Amino acid sequence: MLSLLRRLFYPRPKSRSPWLIVVGCVTAIAITLLQPQPSAAATAQHYTDLEFPPLPEIQLPDSTRVELDNGMVVYLVEDHELPLVSGSATIRIGSRFEPTDKIGLAALTGELIRTGGTRDRSADEIDATLEQIAAAVETSIELTVGTASFSALSEDTDTVLTLFADILQHPVFDASKLDLAKNQFRGSIARRNDDPNEIADRELTKLIYGATSPYARTVEYSTLDNITRRDLIDFYTDHVSPDRIILGLVGDFDTKAMKQKVIELFGGWAATSNHELALPEVTPATVNGIYIVDRPDLSQSYVEMGHLGGLRNSPDYAQLGVMNNVLNGFGGRLFDEVRSRQGLAYTVYAAWSANYDYPGLFIAGGQTRAESTADFIRAIRAEIERIRDEAITPAELQAAKDKTLNSFIFNFADPDQTLSRLIRYEYYGYPSDFIFQYQRGIEATTIADVQRVARTYLTPEDLTILVVGNAAQVNPSLNSLDPDRTAQPIDISIPAAS
Amino acid sequence: MRSVNFWGVWSRGLADGWWRVVCITLMLGVLAVGGGLVLPSAALADRLPIQSYIDRTIANVTDFTLENGMRFIVLERHESPTVSFITYANVGGVDEPPGKTGIAHFLEHLAFKGTTRIGTTDYAAEQPLLDRLDELHREIKRKQAAGAAIDPDALAALKAEFEQVETAANSYAIQNEFGQIVQQAGGVGLNATTSADATRYFYSFPSNKLELWMSLESERFLDPVFREFYKEQQVILEERRLRTDNSPIGATIEAFLATAFTTHPYRHPTIGFAADIEGLSRDEVQAFFETYYVPNNLTVAIVGDVNPKQVRRLAKTYFGRYPAGPTPPPVTQVEPEQTAERSIEVRMQSEPWYIEGYHRPSLNHPDNATYDAIASILSNGRTSRLYSALVQGQQVALYAEGFNGFPGDRYPNLMLFYGLTAPGHSVDEVQAALHEEIQRIASEPVSEIELDRAKTQARASLLRSLNSNSGMASSLVNYQAKTGDWRNLFEQLKAIDAVTAADILRVARATFTDQNRTIARLLPLDAAANP
Repeated sequence: MLSLLRRLFYPRPKSRSPWLIVVGCVTAIAITLLQPQPSAAATAQHYTDLEFPPLPEIQLPDSTRVELDNGMVVYLVEDHELPLVSGSATIRIGSRFEPTDKIGLAALTGELIRTGGTRDRSADEIDATLEQIAAAVETSIELTVGTASFSALSEDTDTVLTLFADILQHPVFDASKLDLAKNQFRGSIARRNDDPNEIADRELTKLIYGATSPYARTVEYSTLDNITRRDLIDFYTDHVSPDRIILGLVGDFDTKAMKQKVIELFGGWAATSNHELALPEVTPATVNGIYIVDRPDLSQSYVEMGHLGGLRNSPDYAQLGVMNNVLNGFGGRLFDEVRSRQGLAYTVYAAWSANYDYPGLFIAGGQTRAESTADFIRAIRAEIERIRDEAITPAELQAAKDKTLNSFIFNFADPDQTLSRLIRYEYYGYPSDFIFQYQRGIEATTIADVQRVARTYLTPEDLTILVVGNAAQVNPSLNSLDPDRTAQPIDISIPAAS
Repeated sequence: MRSVNFWGVWSRGLADGWWRVVCITLMLGVLAVGGGLVLPSAALADRLPIQSYIDRTIANVTDFTLENGMRFIVLERHESPTVSFITYANVGGVDEPPGKTGIAHFLEHLAFKGTTRIGTTDYAAEQPLLDRLDELHREIKRKQAAGAAIDPDALAALKAEFEQVETAANSYAIQNEFGQIVQQAGGVGLNATTSADATRYFYSFPSNKLELWMSLESERFLDPVFREFYKEQQVILEERRLRTDNSPIGATIEAFLATAFTTHPYRHPTIGFAADIEGLSRDEVQAFFETYYVPNNLTVAIVGDVNPKQVRRLAKTYFGRYPAGPTPPPVTQVEPEQTAERSIEVRMQSEPWYIEGYHRPSLNHPDNATYDAIASILSNGRTSRLYSALVQGQQVALYAEGFNGFPGDRYPNLMLFYGLTAPGHSVDEVQAALHEEIQRIASEPVSEIELDRAKTQARASLLRSLNSNSGMASSLVNYQAKTGDWRNLFEQLKAIDAVTAADILRVARATFTDQNRTIARLLPLDAAANP
């Protein structure tokens, strides 16, 4: 909830998640080690004169998948590099399933599973036990997924895993902790207009998906007031059940012994959920408008523009990835043109951002001084038009593909990356080799493909444009963008509790 | 330290994530506890099973210094065929002359602009245009300074010529070619940060590209060309607007530092004042570069799948090309002891924040570990005193904590506390609750349980950091540059194990006094909105 504030002030939240979800972890990855290559020359060479040996084949760490009788799926990956163990339960749940008059219920439930105590242990007792041994358990429910994770020194595995199992299976949602959490949520509502970037993100999402869409709606004082402890218990009981959980464990343990331990701790948990959740429908709410949030105190305009996007399992996902690389990064068109050549912005981007199971966004933007707002928007739109209208050069294609292919190994630098990917793919119903399909898709992408996907998926005339900035300074220039459309004001004042 | 970095955007890869990185951070070191001088007592740490893992890591570290004084630290880790690099230039905001704030950070941006061979299609043709641009810029400044006496047509003509020459010069530039080469070769995490203490350049490569890093990084500082200077100036001004002018907390921190420090350059913003950024010229940045980017002021850490012997050979070949230079001038300003509480108020469109800082000695002071223990006991986790009292107990704050090393730790710095008011509570209530806890730690010994917890957490935190190439590169180079020996990254555990309740009482009592305190209150524009 306060992630924004914490991000502003301190990169690692300490209080809520002392080691912020060391989901999965470390390990002996079974990659054939590269033999040191003899230096080709004893004199310094320009980069163009260097040649490089190939990297070894990627080898995946050994993982074991078991399914308990109650339906819980468990992945185990041993990693003995350090005396650490960690794990993460992925729970089929999400705030997109909460009732419209109780927005905030899922997030509160996610938080209170951890902070509200259990049948046998008070919240304070849990905190004291964990922190004394530098261990952590954290739980949360986000838009499309719930997560419960832990991290411990391997010598404390039994203690922490026992607590973790207790927290997940027997939360009691202590009323005073719920009051505290609700008050914290009220505080974050009150602070949600303090950062112009947050305003732009939130309001553009609402414009595109619709203000009441589960993918855009926000917690309000009134929806918080509707939420009772009973609601949390019901939401938990309806959704958190072993048959809706994929548990991943990684670290310094013996697989057989750990499997036994998991059966001991989770095997007796009876499945309770019995209904399928239908994903909410997504339709574009706003197309092709210009909007402004008036902030007379700002010397910069925070610009975001976008339209509805797509899914990762689209056959064109890899080609769109290549397109993203042509537009972004060092040597990317937007960075080169809008930032370096024109000096219009520190941040500028335009990216196809797909999701696993609901349409993502095509989104572009950045910040620029108030007087150059229209120039900035024009410059970005020009690049969107250009990648549709003209074929990219062979050098651009090569650079864009190489960026992903030559850095591909970094997707396998730690065993926990492989583990969390396997779990994510299973959760969203993707094939387990999806990442390699993506790699092959990148390899096969042609110049014509990039232009085709740009023309198919990017529709500049549909872009909804949002500016957070000083309307008096910005409006005249915004109106020059399109004489037929004037910028519509958006009121972001926070509704009082009813 | 307040860090500002080169770019706010990264392109979206396969990994989950967002494509904007907002880096307004007050960063601590990589660990929850900082380092310090080594104390003799080492009993607890040596008994612990994790010590063998730390010893194993230490055994895999080698270091060497080239004849020109440039220092390298290498940690072998063969868990994956990847390697992380960091070049640490021992120069930051503190080294900037008055009126030239922001020059270290400006230089950091320009270090992405290429060399005589990278970033240009024809340097011989480009160079005279770059020089001419500087002349025109000086001429325009002179005329503008003359004010009303100047003929407006002459000024307009100069500006027109400036734009024309800039366009001509840009026609030779290959934008961001340096970064493009790195990324196309499979480099990830390419970025740089400038803080009050240091400038750090970093990225990671697949391990078959070790020599490519050697070639690119050595050429980068051997032969840099600060092209596109005037456009980059605009970019940096946008960065300043983003981080400071339009950021309530950024603006508050700038005003707070200018109040807490009266003499030491920690009082200046690393991003620079807008007028200073606008006033910088290319030859000033060049001169700053020549003074501070000498090999004996540079330290490199390389962590990952490498052969240390090969690293050494290549380093000599590539970085041995740097001519040795004189040791850069030290920072001479010494912050005088504070004699009375100072306080400022900033009003912006924001909910309230309460901030206060206390002067403390540098990283290398023997009490450093004690300060770390104090920060840990006050701030680390839900059982910490500030969270228990301010957030859970009295519920006056949404969040509150204190940490060391602000805005840097090479020099005497601040222990900084802050709290965000909870709904219906004021900054005065946050202050009162905070002072109650600070008074308590300065008047009663902490419990053994709390002290043990802080020590265990410090050990676990170091242990957890050992499996990250980039994290270890950053920590090793930081301790080498700031304490003179990378081993202090590990020795600090012994120092923290030696901290006693009496040490904490002594240090807290000396530090947490009214006269040693500077306060900032960030309040909404509309006073009525603050209950």
